[in-house]
Amino acid sequence: MNNTTAATASEIRDRADPRQVLADRVAQLYRQMPLAIGATFVAGAVATFELQGRWLKELVLLWWAIVVVFTAAASLLLFAYRRSADKAGTAHQWLRWLAIAALGNGSSWGLAGGVFFRSLSDEQQVFLAFLFAGMASVGIPVYAASWPIFALYAAGILGPFFYVLATFGNRLFVEIALLVPVFYAINVAVAYRLTQVFDSGYRLRHAYGRLTEDYSVLNQRLQGQLVELGEARRQVEASGRKLALFAERSPIVVLELDPQGTVNRVNHATEILFGYAAAELEGASVKRLVRPEYQPDFDRQWAQLVSTRQSMTGLKIRTPRRDGIDLICEWTVTPLVNTEGNLLSVIAQGRDITAQLEAERMKKEFTSTLSHELRTPLTSIIGSLQLVNSGVLGEIDKDVADLTQVAERNGQRLLDLINDILDIEKIESGKLTLAPEQIRVEELVREAMVLNKGFGDRFKVRFEIAGEAPDREVRGDRKRLLQVMTNLLSNAAKFSPEGSAVEVTITDNGANLRIGVHDRGTGIPENFRGRIFGRFTQADSATNRQKGGTGLGLAICKRLIEMMQGHIGFEDRAGGGSTFWFDLPTQTQ
Amino acid sequence: MPDRPLTRICYVEDDADIQRIVRLSLERIGKMTVEVVGDPTAAIDAMLAFRPDLVMLDWMMPVLDGPALFRQMKQRPETSALPVVFITAKAAQRDLDELLALGAAGTISKPFSPKDLPEQLRAIWSKLP
Repeated sequence: MNNTTAATASEIRDRADPRQVLADRVAQLYRQMPLAIGATFVAGAVATFELQGRWLKELVLLWWAIVVVFTAAASLLLFAYRRSADKAGTAHQWLRWLAIAALGNGSSWGLAGGVFFRSLSDEQQVFLAFLFAGMASVGIPVYAASWPIFALYAAGILGPFFYVLATFGNRLFVEIALLVPVFYAINVAVAYRLTQVFDSGYRLRHAYGRLTEDYSVLNQRLQGQLVELGEARRQVEASGRKLALFAERSPIVVLELDPQGTVNRVNHATEILFGYAAAELEGASVKRLVRPEYQPDFDRQWAQLVSTRQSMTGLKIRTPRRDGIDLICEWTVTPLVNTEGNLLSVIAQGRDITAQLEAERMKKEFTSTLSHELRTPLTSIIGSLQLVNSGVLGEIDKDVADLTQVAERNGQRLLDLINDILDIEKIESGKLTLAPEQIRVEELVREAMVLNKGFGDRFKVRFEIAGEAPDREVRGDRKRLLQVMTNLLSNAAKFSPEGSAVEVTITDNGANLRIGVHDRGTGIPENFRGRIFGRFTQADSATNRQKGGTGLGLAICKRLIEMMQGHIGFEDRAGGGSTFWFDLPTQTQ
Repeated sequence: MPDRPLTRICYVEDDADIQRIVRLSLERIGKMTVEVVGDPTAAIDAMLAFRPDLVMLDWMMPVLDGPALFRQMKQRPETSALPVVFITAKAAQRDLDELLALGAAGTISKPFSPKDLPEQLRAIWSKLP
């Protein structure tokens, strides 16, 4: 298809369907028939009128009758052709019929020459000769689309005339007779040329017609593709607008940079955050947004980005705002690479984290203050009270001792609270590291029971191991597991009725060891169950005041156990009370 | 285990309140002789004069903190062999481990119980070579 433009006319001609070309030629021949019929009829009538006076009137009329019959037959043929449904399919047949009609037509004139010429006057002979020449010439345009038909037609006229002239016995006529075949040959040659022209014309017409068809199919396809492309383009534009809107309205700073680091576009958030108008930033190097002392770092990272074409996240860059105040932004930088692998541009998205960093710094400072500045005076307070309460400084009044004990207990509670807050802060900021070791669970449980015996005594509750303890080890942080056990045992003691026992069980579940702490307390209130492992939660703040506790203990336990790949939970105990348990894996990766 | 009981303690601590509590605890409960030094820069001289069995160092002190003083002691032949126990509110396990690796005899975290302090020190003393 693509090279049709370069094809020559003859190449194109050869593409025409010969059957269609023939059909077109036949149609052309039949279109010319009314002219042939009319000319024959008119010339026949004139000839009849001119000849009838001198010769046997009946013979001339008979000839006229033959001409009329032939023209009628030709008319019928034309009529039949025009009514024909499949002109193209039967073109050969119509051509044959036309050849017969043309031969008949020509022969009727030949008959006139053969029969009448000899007995005519000189003037009439000239008239008839002129008429024959004229009729033969009329045949050229009429039968031009098929030179053999013209040859038949002209032979029908000129054959008998040639014979009559040649045998007339007149030297002039013999000479004229000799010119007749020449005239015939010239006419046939002209008809032949015309046939070729017609043929070529029709072939070109069909070839171009087919090309046109091909082109129209191609055109339709192109049209369809254009519609699809248009739709795709609209979609791309729409999503482009949407993206532009996202960038424009985004609270995050978005910059588009070229591979050299020149700013192409910035969004509104950029202007607001850095205090520069878009026009001031666009077209200039992005390094304006990097503090000079960090620019070598920036250059190195930019070079890495351009060479690897890998996006980078979490880049912290210090930017001087227009008013000189430093901001720290965290950037995600994404190179846009086309299918050929060329770096088109770089999209940088930045988030101002100055306030966040400041908050983190303050939190760290606060934590440090909490851990040192609060604990140091508490050390003095609790230490002094302990010395007083221990009695080594001498006997004190009972009422005073009661108060110093209240002071010591609450000092201790404040210290526990500080320790718990520090623990949970450490856990949540990921700064708590465990020191895992192999631990025999039964030993750990017994150690925890000894450590908390004093606490149990205070609530008149005893701790005991119930059932068989499997001799198995887990991997965990001993100090932290003791902390968990202390929390569970002290909780159980606090909520147990006086004189009851808190039972500890160790169960081997194959992959896990489960340590359960069972009390006979009042159970966990329904509305507290969902948040029991949350921060600063206690079922009843009155109990808190009365029995101590920070409301952070279980939250810390849950996080510690989970850090050791374990699970913690609780359930109601059959016969009243609660069971708190934790599972630790016996196999560690 | 040393062949004599723990009786002489030198305590370097800048906080006067804690100095008093520790002195009372060790003297009254532990029946020990205590030399308290408030200025860490004068601590080594005090040790040379007092000749303690064991030295207790506070971690956080102005001018010269516990670890720095400990390193100075290590450089002096007269004090390099003295067993040292750190008392600290700073509970970073890594730092404590580092001091133990440097040769500290033990650590006691603040807040400590004055009732238990003499017992804790004797436990550390008993584990010394």
